[in-house]
Amino acid sequence: MPDIALRLSPQDGCASMKSFLLRLAPLALLLALAGCGRDAPPVSVAGGDPARGKALVRDFGCAACHVVPGIAGHGSNVGPPLQKMGVRAYIGGVLPNTPEDMVRWLRDPPAVDPRTAMPNLGLSDAEARDIAAFLYTLR
Amino acid sequence: MRIGLRNLILAAAAVVALAAAGAALFVHLGIYDVAATRQHTRPVFDLLEYAQRRAVSRRAGPAPDLADSRRVQAGARIYSRHCLQCHGAPGIAPDALAYGMTPEPANLVATAREWPAGEIYWVVRHGIKMTGMPAWNRHLSDEEMWDVVAFVMALPQMSPSEYATFDPQARERNAAPAEAAPQPPPMAAAPDRVTPAAIGDIEAGRRAIDGYLCATCHVIPGVVGAQRAVGPPLAGIAGRRYIAGIAVNTPENMIRWLRDPQRMDPLSAMPNLGVSEQDARDIAAYLYTLEDPE
Repeated sequence: MPDIALRLSPQDGCASMKSFLLRLAPLALLLALAGCGRDAPPVSVAGGDPARGKALVRDFGCAACHVVPGIAGHGSNVGPPLQKMGVRAYIGGVLPNTPEDMVRWLRDPPAVDPRTAMPNLGLSDAEARDIAAFLYTLR
Repeated sequence: MRIGLRNLILAAAAVVALAAAGAALFVHLGIYDVAATRQHTRPVFDLLEYAQRRAVSRRAGPAPDLADSRRVQAGARIYSRHCLQCHGAPGIAPDALAYGMTPEPANLVATAREWPAGEIYWVVRHGIKMTGMPAWNRHLSDEEMWDVVAFVMALPQMSPSEYATFDPQARERNAAPAEAAPQPPPMAAAPDRVTPAAIGDIEAGRRAIDGYLCATCHVIPGVVGAQRAVGPPLAGIAGRRYIAGIAVNTPENMIRWLRDPQRMDPLSAMPNLGVSEQDARDIAAYLYTLEDPE
């Protein structure tokens, strides 16, 4: 038997695993940072406040037609679910997803696409901006 | 417990040798399917996607100012000549050759939301091995490649009709006269429960979804690589009351929509993908298996 031997007791095993993991931690952190580095802050909407928007989504009953993350009650499957709305390419399948187009769509969907089933809910410009700001937090 | 170092090394060597022999056998016997008709398995897909992303981001450099609208216009011309065939454009489907490719050529309308310009340039310049993406460095000048990047960076702000102003012929190739639609459609009740297998072949539909590049735009449960948010997610589409927000969700409407979306809504960004009647039935059958997630 050579002089150098590995002595493994359960405690040793645990300790060495722990130190191994501790050594891995910076690497894991680095990987996590590399992954998170891309997460830019949500698109901001001029004059829009996400917190007010969330309250408005509740008041206007958006969940009567859409599944909306963060809104109590699981929402309804009339229109498409709104998860990832902040990174979706198109609004209503027809408009590019820019803040100004989002406000335009929210204020009067049939004016954008006469065929849409989404009604004009009579939102004011300020309300539409708040709701748009909230939707851009869904990613 | 005392383990001799020599035994430990021997055991480790044996494990490594066995793993190598196993891997060699796996390759030699041709077990991994290279057919483009089958998507990669999920772990392989995820690994390749991650490796590609890391490799590009490691090598890419900074980008010049690309906001000049002349650059975007020049880029649009190059795009419609060299890129559209595989990647499509807002409201425009790729050419048939792209449908047979695995991995599926990315839809680029939202790429600039996640990819910095420098990385897009790197991919245009160097291509990506074993994906079908060619290197353009010998065929386009540096300036031309940056023009293309400028165009791709502008895509997230572009509606299908705005794109049509850059490339009217592509739009004509694609366009069908719109049919009259109720405006807006009647308030729909929850769709009747349909029996997917009565509409088409579910498994054939699952394969046709790969064949028509659906995964390049939609999140589709059960489809590897379907994680893009270009269009709406399709989880729960069986119970959704409207298709694309414009038509009551019935199997007939679903099949019509799949065959030619812009006939039902001329403004739609979803292009006519040339889906055959049978494929549309089979795809619809698969989609009607996607019940509400909860």
